[in-house]
Amino acid sequence: MKGSMHISRRDFFKETAGATSLLAFGSSIPAFLARSASAVEAGQASRESVLVVIQLSGGNDGLNTVVPYQDDAYHRSRPTLRIGPEQALKLDSSLGLHPAMPAFRKLYQEGRLSIIQGVGYPRSSRDHDAAMEDWHTGVLREQVLPGARTGWLGRAVDTACDPGKTDLRGVFVGEIKAPFSMHTERVVVPSIKSLEEWLPTGASWSDSTRAHDSDPLPSASTGSSFLLAGVRRATANARLIQPRLIAASHALHSQNLAAYPPFPLAENLATVAQLIRADLGIRIYFVELGGGGIGGFDTHANQAANHGALLRELAESTSAFVDDLNHDRLLDSVLVMTFSEFGRTLSESGRRGTNHGAAAPMFMIGGRVKGGLWGAHPSLTDIEEDAPKFHTDFRRVYATVLERWLKLKSEKILAPGFAPLDGVLA
Amino acid sequence: MRPDLNDPAWAWAPFQPDAARPWDLRLAAHLYRRAAFGGTWPELQRALSDGPQATIDKLVNPKPGAADFDRLYDDYENAAAASSGYGSQAWWLRRMIESPQPLQEQLTLFWHNHFGISNVHVKHNASLFRHAHVLRQRGMGSFEALLDAVLAQPAVWICLGARDNGRRSLSESAVRILMEQYALGPGQCSDSDVREGARALSGWIVTQGELRFVPGEYDAAPKKILGQEGDFDRKALVRILANHPATGHWLAQKLVRWFISDTAKASESLLAPLAKQLTGDGSTAKGVEILLRSNLFFSAEAYRQKVRSPVELALGIIRPLEGRTGTVRLAADLAGLGQELYEPPTLQGWAGGLAWINPLTTLGRMRLAEALLAESGTYEGKLDPGAVVSRHGQTTKDGGRQFLAELYLQGDLAAETLAAVAVAPSTTGSTAARSADPRQIAAHLASLPEFQLA
Amino acid sequence: MLLLVAAFSIYGEDLPPVAQWIPADAPIMVEVSEPMALLGPLLSPEFGKSVTTELENGKANLKLQEFQGVVAAVELQLGTDWRTGVRRLAGRGLSFCVDPSGATLLVADGEDEKLLSKLNEIIWQFASSGANQQDQPETEDSREHRGVKTWKLGTNEVHALLGPRLVLVNRMSFLHKVLDLRADAGGKTLASSALFKAARDAVGKEAVASVFLNLRTLRETPGLKKALEEDGNPVTALLLSDTKAALRSASWFALGVYVSSEKLILKTYTDGTAPESARWTSFSTPPEASAGLLPPLTVPGTIASLSLYRDLHSFYAAKNTLFPERTSGLIFFENMMGIFFSGIDLTEGVLGEVRPDIRVVVAKQQYDPAVGTPATQMPALAAVLRLKDPQRFGETVEEAWQKAIGLANFTRGQQALPGLIIDKANQDGVKYTFSYYRPPADKSSGAIDARYNYRPSLARPGDYVILSSTDALARDLIDAVKKAPSTPAKTSPAANSLMEIEGPALSAILQANREPMVRKNMVDKGDSREKAESDIQMLLLALGHLDHATFTLRRDASRPQAQLEIRFK
Repeated sequence: MKGSMHISRRDFFKETAGATSLLAFGSSIPAFLARSASAVEAGQASRESVLVVIQLSGGNDGLNTVVPYQDDAYHRSRPTLRIGPEQALKLDSSLGLHPAMPAFRKLYQEGRLSIIQGVGYPRSSRDHDAAMEDWHTGVLREQVLPGARTGWLGRAVDTACDPGKTDLRGVFVGEIKAPFSMHTERVVVPSIKSLEEWLPTGASWSDSTRAHDSDPLPSASTGSSFLLAGVRRATANARLIQPRLIAASHALHSQNLAAYPPFPLAENLATVAQLIRADLGIRIYFVELGGGGIGGFDTHANQAANHGALLRELAESTSAFVDDLNHDRLLDSVLVMTFSEFGRTLSESGRRGTNHGAAAPMFMIGGRVKGGLWGAHPSLTDIEEDAPKFHTDFRRVYATVLERWLKLKSEKILAPGFAPLDGVLA
Repeated sequence: MRPDLNDPAWAWAPFQPDAARPWDLRLAAHLYRRAAFGGTWPELQRALSDGPQATIDKLVNPKPGAADFDRLYDDYENAAAASSGYGSQAWWLRRMIESPQPLQEQLTLFWHNHFGISNVHVKHNASLFRHAHVLRQRGMGSFEALLDAVLAQPAVWICLGARDNGRRSLSESAVRILMEQYALGPGQCSDSDVREGARALSGWIVTQGELRFVPGEYDAAPKKILGQEGDFDRKALVRILANHPATGHWLAQKLVRWFISDTAKASESLLAPLAKQLTGDGSTAKGVEILLRSNLFFSAEAYRQKVRSPVELALGIIRPLEGRTGTVRLAADLAGLGQELYEPPTLQGWAGGLAWINPLTTLGRMRLAEALLAESGTYEGKLDPGAVVSRHGQTTKDGGRQFLAELYLQGDLAAETLAAVAVAPSTTGSTAARSADPRQIAAHLASLPEFQLA
Repeated sequence: MLLLVAAFSIYGEDLPPVAQWIPADAPIMVEVSEPMALLGPLLSPEFGKSVTTELENGKANLKLQEFQGVVAAVELQLGTDWRTGVRRLAGRGLSFCVDPSGATLLVADGEDEKLLSKLNEIIWQFASSGANQQDQPETEDSREHRGVKTWKLGTNEVHALLGPRLVLVNRMSFLHKVLDLRADAGGKTLASSALFKAARDAVGKEAVASVFLNLRTLRETPGLKKALEEDGNPVTALLLSDTKAALRSASWFALGVYVSSEKLILKTYTDGTAPESARWTSFSTPPEASAGLLPPLTVPGTIASLSLYRDLHSFYAAKNTLFPERTSGLIFFENMMGIFFSGIDLTEGVLGEVRPDIRVVVAKQQYDPAVGTPATQMPALAAVLRLKDPQRFGETVEEAWQKAIGLANFTRGQQALPGLIIDKANQDGVKYTFSYYRPPADKSSGAIDARYNYRPSLARPGDYVILSSTDALARDLIDAVKKAPSTPAKTSPAANSLMEIEGPALSAILQANREPMVRKNMVDKGDSREKAESDIQMLLLALGHLDHATFTLRRDASRPQAQLEIRFK
């Protein structure tokens, strides 16, 4: 039976004497702690909001993703790659999606897809490493020393984790090394290739330690038992979630995956769905499409087939993920966001591909997005170095997600001055 | 002497066991955990008969053959640095297991954490290895010599942003980090101190992976730094920083955090004697020695007051079993638990304490313990608790349960907990099955919350 | 130690084939019908001499000493030298089988009942002393099953009495099944199963040993399943996709071992087919007209030489069906090829210009004395292709190669690493291009960097294109292609892949890299230096007996067949 595991949970996070004070800047108390068992059983979606970020590695060609199918400049500049009105999946009278994305058009028609157009940043880099680092850190390279850099989502996770507590707030799901977005200063963000590899496989022993949570060590130490209480809590919590994870892993392979298309991104998102269902308190998930590094979206040559295959993988995997969550009425608490390190040039490269550009659209998908197109499509006549210009700074999109969705103060995570966008989230 | 945390004289006086705080297996194991990543049964028994101060003598003084060992392993690490993958880390982990001078490795890890230089930014194994080599060579001597050698490393300058800045060398925020985080402690420099410090460091640029001095770029005019005035260059700046009283205090704080406790906050007056030892050309080794010998170190303020880092967890399982295991896979597994050697998260190093712990990493630690002790699998059963149990003449009838609990935990667990170790839950209400497999028992012991504390 | 030993008294009974006692659903069956023929090389005096030399070599090889100890102990116990012992214990046949639940069975058909009995006693003593160590109670439990006495010791162990056939099983239920099949006629035995019979027929009677795998059952095991799947790796797809596809659809797989003169021959058989028209197969099927492969090329110092028939054009044209998943590696490859070939279509314009005859050579290299020998010694590697239209396309290849070197230099320059210098030279009238790293400025500064293993080169004699990792190998190959015939050697049925390995050269290159291998072993496995050295030494010792090996892949009526011929020194 596909669905969540209703385990009534009592609040086993006892406050200990001597706990350090919480950080001053408004971290939210995890709502799931206070949520009563009955509310869970009633199936109410009073869950904390969850963010799922999908990185498209290599520089996604925005112009062939959200296609200005009537635009002359577009057709003139792309003799072999252009997508005309007959092939584009129309969103409105001037824009359509790439033909490989009917799954996204369906989400758009259901009002679950928002497209933020023209996203970039001033003097944006067109180098893979540098641009990706900008998008990962959320600050410009000149502003922070290499050794002091962290990811914007890493900072969000650090903020959402109260020191002195042992909560799990962020994970990366995928095979590659975790991208720098999730790089924290303090807490550990686990990288999950598969659920099985995190689970002890040995016999499960009866655990009588839980009864003695607050007992000090019998060595009659007069020292503080703060650390001991902390690790005991974490162990008790781990023992509780272990069977849930085992069941989630089992369900994933025996039934859930059947509902997903056979793509690696789909498998990763199915794992994310299971983790969301398991209600572990994780608020930020990160997955990746394209293989990391100089990724698969870097289509300098033979773009048509390759880009189409990747967009199909993105659309169908995300759509299956949405269906999966919707089935258990979890969609309203989940927001999916895609990004790439830059868009691509308006003209072709001469090898039936495109070169590095600047502005590109970002997708936002979930139960609580406003739906529709946000912002105007950038002009294709007023371009800069052969690429469309941006009108929305990506850090405003980040701020929107941090403030309006995750309810975290964005000024400490990004620099001040990036106002959230109105009209993206419902 | 009565314990009195407000009395530095008591705190740093050499520990003399008495009835209230006897020299027993617990304290011996505590000493070995902090100074040597863990002690074997013979080592612990020997320590019990030698007494604390004599044991510390052994741990602190250089062993014959240690220099040869270091040279050999430097060779190994050097060769491994040429290729990618976990090779360099694997050799360091092996070194930590095998070294005749584990205290040196503890200190190298301490300095690695202190300077926080990460290969994520340097992107060059050989440079990182050279940096680590300097930390090991100079880490026990005077801080001035160490800081001087560290600031000659291109890896350090790259992490401080030198590669991005071209001929402008280091930015002021980088210099502030250098002066405060590396030496004086936070909030000790005024803006003018930092500006002048930057001028003292001018002329050094990183090109082609090397640190070079360009005389034409050096600002030779006199500088006024931290109340002193003169023609200060890089070497002079190091001298000023190392000899400043705040530096001794900052280092003392850090050493206390590393060797004494994750949570205790030591007052300035309490740290003063240790701080004095660490300023100027006092050796760090001597400071650590004072620390290890002290009442404070053996007091309840220190006992089991650290959360094991992933490295300490793994070594705490491996070393007492007098064995060795494949470390390439171990390096990858430790990275998964949040501690990738040569890649501390930021210049502040690993946060440590409860930051290592969340539900998933807790499960991961249990899984690591299981894998290390399993008879087959990724670690190929190279560690053999059963052999250790019989080697020390203990009974194997109960799988060596009592012995292993002493070896790993020195009885720091409730009787009910010990009785419940490796006991399968009873399904039919009959007596539960107690495992007699030393591997399973050891794995369960290493999964207990009590074992996560060092 | 858990060992179940059972046996039965069968004085005077003719020994039927073991397969008649094995249940039909056993997925794995290994039979050595002529153990002495197989062990022949090992029993030769030369081998014995080399082993003793090794032992006396002073290198204290742990493993070999252990083995020697065990052999000596068994010899003492059995009262015979080990060579005769083997013959008398298992000279008439040795069989090994695994049942669906994973239980294993070992049968030894000997010439000497008494000796088998003695061996059984030794096993029993060994097993019971093991039980003693673990404080397990000795319970002898003798039972009868179908008129045969079986003995159980403790929970899982049995000792017994024997005839000329000794049967060892590690699970009582399996043994019972075997005894049932022996006693009843007409049971479902392996010998009567259609798959086994077909495999038997394919292997033939001359085989001295054979392996049978029931793929219908084994296909579902996760390891094998994964190995047979298409993983998106273009290189393995190019080389092995037809074989993998056939095995995915096969019911059985068999391996036959044959001995002829001084050669050991292994051949595989299967009922799985790879139809020539299938996308997995078409690019590795030579058309009838020019069936066969070009002979592999040899140069001084050859370690391995390959000859392949692979139509790269049709392989890459089927990319969409072969690799539905767009890996970043594939896209990166296309980007790079797009740059190097200035936008020419990769499938038609580049791969379409290459003939399907592909040859690869791996050879030991001689290092420039001005530079020195790197710590890790890589062999030289070269690919030899043929162009359809060298006049038109040859210079395009030259340009692409130079662009590749230039890009490599640029990337290395960005990381402050030294780059390659390109130059041209002449070999026997053929102008070729090569590149090299400048010698190190400071020669005394320790180990020579690994980059000095590489001096990428390009040569275009006639319609050939030689892409080599060193210029010396390129020169040798220029000479070799001039001498070699351009008409393929006929192999029947047509082979599509052929590889030759020179034992001494392989040993030499591994010997040269002994230290890096030992270190890697130390840190991968956590072994001591002594153990790592002894492990590597054993490997080198074993390889030292290899003179020559030939590996072929062919298709026999759509069924893939592999053959490995090994000649020992």
